[in-house]
Amino acid sequence: MLNLASTQRHDGTTTVQREPGMSTNDENAPEIRTGQWEDALSFVAVHQDKAAYSELFSYFAPRLKAFGMKMFGNEQQALEMVQDTMLNVWRKARLFDPSRGCASTWIFTIARNVRFDMLRKKQSRKDDISADDLWYDGNYPEQEDSGSHQWDTVLMTEKLAPHFDRLPEAQRLVMVKVYLEEKSHQEVSDELAIPLGTVKSRIRLALDRLREALDDTRS
Amino acid sequence: MTHAVKYHPGIPLLEQYVEGTLEADVALAVSAHIDLCPHCQQLCLDLSAEQGLMLEKSAPAAELNVSDMDEMLAEILAHTQLDTGQVSSQPEGPVQVHLKGKTFTVPRALARLVEQQTKWTQLGSIANAKLPAGDKRHVSLLYIDKDTAIPQHTHKGLEITLVLSGRIVDEQGSYGVGDILINTPDDTHTPRTLPDEDCLCLSVLSAPLQFNKGITRLLNPLQHLFY
Ligand SMILES: [Zn+2]
Repeated sequence: MLNLASTQRHDGTTTVQREPGMSTNDENAPEIRTGQWEDALSFVAVHQDKAAYSELFSYFAPRLKAFGMKMFGNEQQALEMVQDTMLNVWRKARLFDPSRGCASTWIFTIARNVRFDMLRKKQSRKDDISADDLWYDGNYPEQEDSGSHQWDTVLMTEKLAPHFDRLPEAQRLVMVKVYLEEKSHQEVSDELAIPLGTVKSRIRLALDRLREALDDTRS
Repeated sequence: MTHAVKYHPGIPLLEQYVEGTLEADVALAVSAHIDLCPHCQQLCLDLSAEQGLMLEKSAPAAELNVSDMDEMLAEILAHTQLDTGQVSSQPEGPVQVHLKGKTFTVPRALARLVEQQTKWTQLGSIANAKLPAGDKRHVSLLYIDKDTAIPQHTHKGLEITLVLSGRIVDEQGSYGVGDILINTPDDTHTPRTLPDEDCLCLSVLSAPLQFNKGITRLLNPLQHLFY
């Protein structure tokens, strides 16, 4: 069961495409101070600060345009998506909650939703599924941090080794440091210059992939 | 794991859901599963964070018309900030369906669609209500009374079933609230309810089901319920 679900897109292909974008030493990326975009958003939210907004705009709009070009393959639509997304960022800045995640995550979800609704509208569907239906714009009740410890022993088994190597590079790197080099999450965060939350989320994602590889409830 | 949901969509499926590249009606089933599954809620937050980071680290568009971008910025800033609350087409509060004297609450993802339309078609101990979603695939609520077997069938396309209430069993397992089953054309199964428990599911189908046992050909009219 679930065969199609897990084979529809092979992990290998997605990983290869993604890694360049995820690397932390991307030559294209200017220096970004941790918390810079979150701060800018809160200035926009509280003071309607146009300078802070312009900073966000000049960083994210060109990147959103590249994203839109990839998704639509059409400049006019790409720009429409950028404008709608960035307008939402301006108007809804007060809804951004830094405790729920990074500014970049929030902006990505807005762009995704705008793009989705644009595509649906183009197909002129009525009464149909909207981005609002698919992606909940609120908080699910808080979850306890479940179950990574119970995997520690399993992770050491040889059975898992081949799966370990097939993890997306960014996740594999974190897992190697935590489970093989036995570093603390904080140490890994410092070493890789990624937020602590990203270390934790990559571990969760990696554990789930490994679980999936061993367990047939998902495949 | 502490939660009760046992059958989840695979990570590649969740990934496409988060990216927004999954077919809308399949995404709807995944979204409703997530509403019911704390485990996948967390995974989706993590996957979204990865997507956000990717956007942040990505290269800007190669071709950018500076005056176009300045114009866009000026136009946006000309808007006064308005949104203080959520602007959403979602209904307030939980949405319920009533059937056979029972009341079921549907997950958030389905609430708006269910509110728009739930007309039940009944045949024996099975009832079906098509939701106004998708056209390639058929999206419907499926109610199966207790102690009922759905005739053995294969699928021409993909069949996704998400248990919303009660329990259903087939040759491969037993599925409770939140569990998602995805069957491909190669799978043959005979889902049934237990003697003392009915079941409400979300069903997403890509093509008419084909029944493959002689006797169940008599039941072919059932097909229109599924399709
Ligand atoms: Zn799940």
